[in-house]
Amino acid sequence: MADEQELMPPDASQGPVQAVSAMGFPSPARDYFDGGLDLNRLLVRDRVSTFIMRVSGHAMQSAGIHDGDEVIVDRSLPVRHASVVIVNLNGQMLVRRWHIDGPKVGLLSDESPLPVWLDEGDEVGVFGVITRCLHHVR
Amino acid sequence: MSADHVSLVDVNNFYVSCERAFDYSLRNRPVVVLSNNDGCVVARSQEAKDLGIATGEPFFKVQRFMDSHHLAVRSSNYELYGDMSARVMELLGRYGTWHEVYSIDESFIGLEGSLEQVRSTAAQIRKAIDKVVGVPVCVGVSSTKTLAKLANHIAKHNPGLGGVCVQQLMDQRVLDNILSRVPVTDVWGVGRKSGAKLASMGIETIADLRDADPLLIRKKFSVVLQRTVFELNGQRCIGPVEERADRGQVMFTRSFSTPVRTHEAMEEVMSIYAQKAASRLASEGRYASLLTVTAGTSRFAQGESSFPSAQVRLPRPTRDPILLSKLAIAAMGDLMQPGMDYVRGGVILSGLSDSPGEKQLDLFGLGDEQEEEEQKNVSSVVQDISARFGAKSIGLGPAGMAQSPAWTMKREHISQRYTTEWDELLEVRA
Repeated sequence: MADEQELMPPDASQGPVQAVSAMGFPSPARDYFDGGLDLNRLLVRDRVSTFIMRVSGHAMQSAGIHDGDEVIVDRSLPVRHASVVIVNLNGQMLVRRWHIDGPKVGLLSDESPLPVWLDEGDEVGVFGVITRCLHHVR
Repeated sequence: MSADHVSLVDVNNFYVSCERAFDYSLRNRPVVVLSNNDGCVVARSQEAKDLGIATGEPFFKVQRFMDSHHLAVRSSNYELYGDMSARVMELLGRYGTWHEVYSIDESFIGLEGSLEQVRSTAAQIRKAIDKVVGVPVCVGVSSTKTLAKLANHIAKHNPGLGGVCVQQLMDQRVLDNILSRVPVTDVWGVGRKSGAKLASMGIETIADLRDADPLLIRKKFSVVLQRTVFELNGQRCIGPVEERADRGQVMFTRSFSTPVRTHEAMEEVMSIYAQKAASRLASEGRYASLLTVTAGTSRFAQGESSFPSAQVRLPRPTRDPILLSKLAIAAMGDLMQPGMDYVRGGVILSGLSDSPGEKQLDLFGLGDEQEEEEQKNVSSVVQDISARFGAKSIGLGPAGMAQSPAWTMKREHISQRYTTEWDELLEVRA
């Protein structure tokens, strides 16, 4: 069986190679080539407000977020009911689902079926809203 | 009446604010950030300022506050500050009719509209940067750059203003009162030296300078200070301020954590710094035609000092790390004086162009064509490997060592590079 390294193209670090023909009829497709699929364009709505963090723990698997995944956090988005957020709770940076019930706000995770309600004594700060999770498949 | 206003936006305690954006444990307590090699204090939170800690104070002198006042200490995390600065600047650019980056944490921007509209835009800017990037700013608005700086100063020192000061909306008597109390050295462009000379002429406060005779100021000082007088009177005469980062050169200079004394160690320094500078050129797609090497002993040391420096003009523009590394070593050559403790060194590449230039004809036949081809291959391999596996994975000669040499920058209290390194991301608990 071939070593997986051998299957790598020889110059993966060099980026796409653009062929240039000095003479002859120009490729009719050339004007339509716009650099291929750019993951940044898909994943990053606005780079000014986007931060990436790494998750540890297993309490947000119902939101599709697993231990070791990277999450993309957008600080500019409003926090709504059911948003998955990065929240600082009493000095700890947590991934939780924001749960609004009338005047009350709570944090939801897989640890309990009921939200942990926030009260006045808590020091709470929302860092930003998670928009994507980069899950490691292998 | 012109509806075009000048505003100065700057981040409060920038380095500390960057640290606090990610580390909530640093909030509401004194924090200081240290210079290269953790030598002295370069940035302070308001709480640290309140403790009487001064900028430039040696680290060992403030260490006692770590226990007594729960003082937090961080090494300079330039990667983090650079990234946060870029975010602030890009966001600011979206608001202004024009935008001049003045320093890592300060920008002038143009705003249009009535005074009330401008005040509301300024408040929006402040709110947006706080929410989106996560650092606090103050905004000063007026009719000239010098006055905008002043308005910013007023916003900073008067928490009641909510971080925004539009000078024209201030009560004239309050403004006059401030101007006649604040020392003239607090004006943008007035140094300590001219401050002393101004004082000897009876010009001690900002109001004094504003009311001074511009012609006299020009005669006794310079046209630059005369402009300051005009600007204090609302007459715009300071044009675009050059960005402090120089597009014309790539500089890699650092202080060492332990002094360099031997030739071998200095060769190591020159080789590594030349390679770093070369890879920066490569990332910018540029080539250099002039190489400068420098080194220096401490300015504070007793006895003899030594500041060797040499320049090499390159036969044609290049960014070849091998060539530059060799030349840097050769240029430093025997300039080091024996027995001296060198505390800093650097490699500067200038005379930059966007192409390697024409190859010169070799008068003496075939020459070194083959050797050059080989070098090209090696350096592209080196660059590929560092691009894929990180800068520390490979290097030429001494730069390839996995263990950093003893003289690299000391950053014992550094926070993670949250925004620029994949293996230093902030860990959040799920």
